[in-house]
Amino acid sequence: MKRLAAVVALLGLATVTACSGNTGDKSAAGGGDGGGGLYTTIDAIKPSLDVNGPINPWSPKGNAFWGYNAMRIAWSKNHLTDPNQFYPGIAASWEIAPDNSSITLHLQPNNKWSDGKPVTAEDVKFSIALAYTQGSTAFAIDPGAAGAASEVEVVDDKTVKISQDMKNPSVTFVRGVMDSFIVPQHVWSSVLPADFWDKLKAARGEGADAENARAEITALSEKVLAFAPPKDVSAGPFALERMNPGEALLVKNKNFYNAANVGPDQVKMLNSTGNEQIWNYLIAGKLDSAPFTAVPADVMKRISSTPGNAVVKGFSPVSLGLAFNQAKKPYDNVHVRRGLAYLINREEVTTIASPEGGTPAVTTTGIHQKPAAEWLGAELGELEPYKLDPAKAEEEFKKAGLKKEGGKWTLPDGTPWKFTINVPTPFSDWVSGAKAVTSQLTAAGVDAEVLTVADYPLYLKEIAEGKYDVGFWLVALGPAPYNIYQRLYGASNGWAILGGKVKHSAPGKNGNWMGGPETIEVDGAKVNPGELTAKLNSASEDEQKTIVGQLAKAANQDLPVVQLWDYVNTQFVNTNHFTGFPENDSDLLRQPAGVWIQLGMVKKK
Amino acid sequence: MTAFARRLAGHLARGLVMILIVTTVSFFVIRSVPGDPMAARYEKMVEQGMSPEAAQRAVEVLFGFAPTGSLWQQYVDYMSGLARLDLGQSLTVPGVGVSTVLFSAAKWTILPVLAGTLLSFLIGIVMGVYAAIKRSGKLGDILAISGSLLHGVPQYVLALLLGAVFTTLWPILPQGGTADIMFEPGFNAGYIGSLVEHATLPVLTYALAGYGGWILAMKSSVVTVLGDDFILAAELRGLKRGFIFRYVARNAILPLFTILALSLGMLFGGAIFIERIFNYPGLGLMLIDSITNRDYALMGGAFLLITAAIIVANIAADLFYTVIDPRVRSGEGVA
Repeated sequence: MKRLAAVVALLGLATVTACSGNTGDKSAAGGGDGGGGLYTTIDAIKPSLDVNGPINPWSPKGNAFWGYNAMRIAWSKNHLTDPNQFYPGIAASWEIAPDNSSITLHLQPNNKWSDGKPVTAEDVKFSIALAYTQGSTAFAIDPGAAGAASEVEVVDDKTVKISQDMKNPSVTFVRGVMDSFIVPQHVWSSVLPADFWDKLKAARGEGADAENARAEITALSEKVLAFAPPKDVSAGPFALERMNPGEALLVKNKNFYNAANVGPDQVKMLNSTGNEQIWNYLIAGKLDSAPFTAVPADVMKRISSTPGNAVVKGFSPVSLGLAFNQAKKPYDNVHVRRGLAYLINREEVTTIASPEGGTPAVTTTGIHQKPAAEWLGAELGELEPYKLDPAKAEEEFKKAGLKKEGGKWTLPDGTPWKFTINVPTPFSDWVSGAKAVTSQLTAAGVDAEVLTVADYPLYLKEIAEGKYDVGFWLVALGPAPYNIYQRLYGASNGWAILGGKVKHSAPGKNGNWMGGPETIEVDGAKVNPGELTAKLNSASEDEQKTIVGQLAKAANQDLPVVQLWDYVNTQFVNTNHFTGFPENDSDLLRQPAGVWIQLGMVKKK
Repeated sequence: MTAFARRLAGHLARGLVMILIVTTVSFFVIRSVPGDPMAARYEKMVEQGMSPEAAQRAVEVLFGFAPTGSLWQQYVDYMSGLARLDLGQSLTVPGVGVSTVLFSAAKWTILPVLAGTLLSFLIGIVMGVYAAIKRSGKLGDILAISGSLLHGVPQYVLALLLGAVFTTLWPILPQGGTADIMFEPGFNAGYIGSLVEHATLPVLTYALAGYGGWILAMKSSVVTVLGDDFILAAELRGLKRGFIFRYVARNAILPLFTILALSLGMLFGGAIFIERIFNYPGLGLMLIDSITNRDYALMGGAFLLITAAIIVANIAADLFYTVIDPRVRSGEGVA
């Protein structure tokens, strides 16, 4: 018994000691020398840290944190209509040829890797070679792919010129180049063979040699993806010092070109596996900044009441749509879809489902309302708003041949009509939104229900297999107009770009679960929305505007989805320790806090 | 070969067969889990602003590691890899072996589970003896009620309650992770203190969840032993109460050792809920992550490890019983 008592006492002592551990012997972690403080945050791109992940920006679980220790050539502003606007990154400035045929990058003159070696044009060229193995848009080896770079030329130690293959140009070429990660050649050199560029040249040809070269480059992709440098050598404002399963510590890179203006000396990344943990961190005031997290109103109140916490809001290029499977009856009938749109009160649905992170869609066009105003101008006001109007809904349902018996709508042959919305269970705002929609429809005589699906991978599989009549679907994923409209008139609706040509698959084939017709009538004329969408990839700015106008009208009339709410980029900052955060509507809200810090905005209080 | 060695060999053979069966079943069950990890990854990349073509190419590169060939061929490959102790590569952490991922997560499950279970066992059996001896008094009642209460509350409810109290209402303990990253890992007071601090809530949950069962089982066992003839004989011989206590406790505790070993194995299953609630990155959290990402290789490895833990715990319980109970050693057997 005495021994037992001693063990218990020791355990108790250890716990007490531990509970007061915050005053213990914390080591100064590396680079901090100016009292710049510790900045604590959660990475929006990788909310779940993985201690086994390599320091590799191409690895989906890599410990390369964008804007902190992983650097891009430049950081996109995600401008509403212009995808070619950027903040400097590895490149200090750039010149884009008027026809988008090339871009010349001028690197930061004084930038060095964290190990003291200079960042050179050769590093950029080598990183582009790595990007070719991963097949990013701008650096695809497939000769038929859109927007491939044809040449990478080192002009001098700090200048690189990248030319586009103008046989198949893309308006997103520049964005694709700028989004490239740059890593140190002297650390990664073993990953690529010395004759990589010769292989790439051969891969662009035809015949057996080209096939072999392509296969070799594809094989390299796995090697690149799995490469794990033993130590972080970063050209960003920070370098990874160490991590454990719950946290990562990054310390200031004194060789970073703008190190003098980098506020924090250290950054602590916290792991999170769910929204609740982020809420708790925020309520406790532990985060200097946090990404968008779906937050119920009561939790928002508690977060806001924590001293120093503030909410910053901006544009988020995402909307939520109620998507129909038009291969199924009665959703093949546009009047049914329109009737349903007239029965949904989007204000109420948004208030219930996403009061802090969404605004009701002003109409349904496939575009988020902010860029819609830019793209469409006065035309936006001419589109059908689909405001709540039960009388119009009744009219549309009758046009579709639906019948109302005993206060309930039935199919044209008199059989019951069950309107079922499928949503993935973990998306709590979608579940709430779907329930709000079904309540409204039920009150209007449509027998409606919500079915939840265990998780997102299962949801995506089943929706792609055409198992659902109606589901929730993210749309308007801008800023490039092609990216926006491929959600409505892309692979999910049967259109795919193969070898530079648009091909349409029948409903139920090749991932076509939306099942819309290949051509639709808009203002009395037949249009092929998939072909129009594909054209957005290479059209000039004026042409894009015309096409976007046509597609918005098509989406507004044909309603492949009923747009419910436009997401708002809601972020949290805490000003107790740092100031200088982006303000409402700043472009920078669409970049990680590491980019704010490297630009010199965030300052220790 | 001694009787003990024969017994051990028999157990190991049966254990291997069981692992083989469970591995086979879990292989096919895991691969029948519906859901498309490629589609999920593609969606995420597009939502993050990547162009559809780039996202498509990226998932093709990433899932180039995905198993190919018929299900039967995949099974043969998997089992032959297993025979070489190769569990394959994780899909979500390219280039990293499943065994590396598993072992890095396992230590964060094994230590808290062991600590919590042993803590609950020690406190539970001591309190169980008191509850039996004082069963007619108030102390006995209080102890018995505390046992019933805690035995009835599910582990995850306890975890939620403890989390709410100690991380939100009275936030004196951390909300997740294994240690504060600001401490240099190593044998130093700050780091060890931080480890203990972060493990406190999971350990406390395991301990409280197990305590009710131990106290009730021990009380029942002690009451049974108290009625045995040898206790009466001991009392008649005029032995002191302390000696009686030792005789009673030693005999009453024997059946509980079997349950202890088994519960250690079973607790790995419970860790899934506890680790999720406390964001404690052990096997349970890793398993949830692998299921969400449909990382078949990692899921298979995690199931295999949990199965092996339960089987090893069974064997250990049986062998341990052989060691501590002379009746088993002598072949009398115990029911």
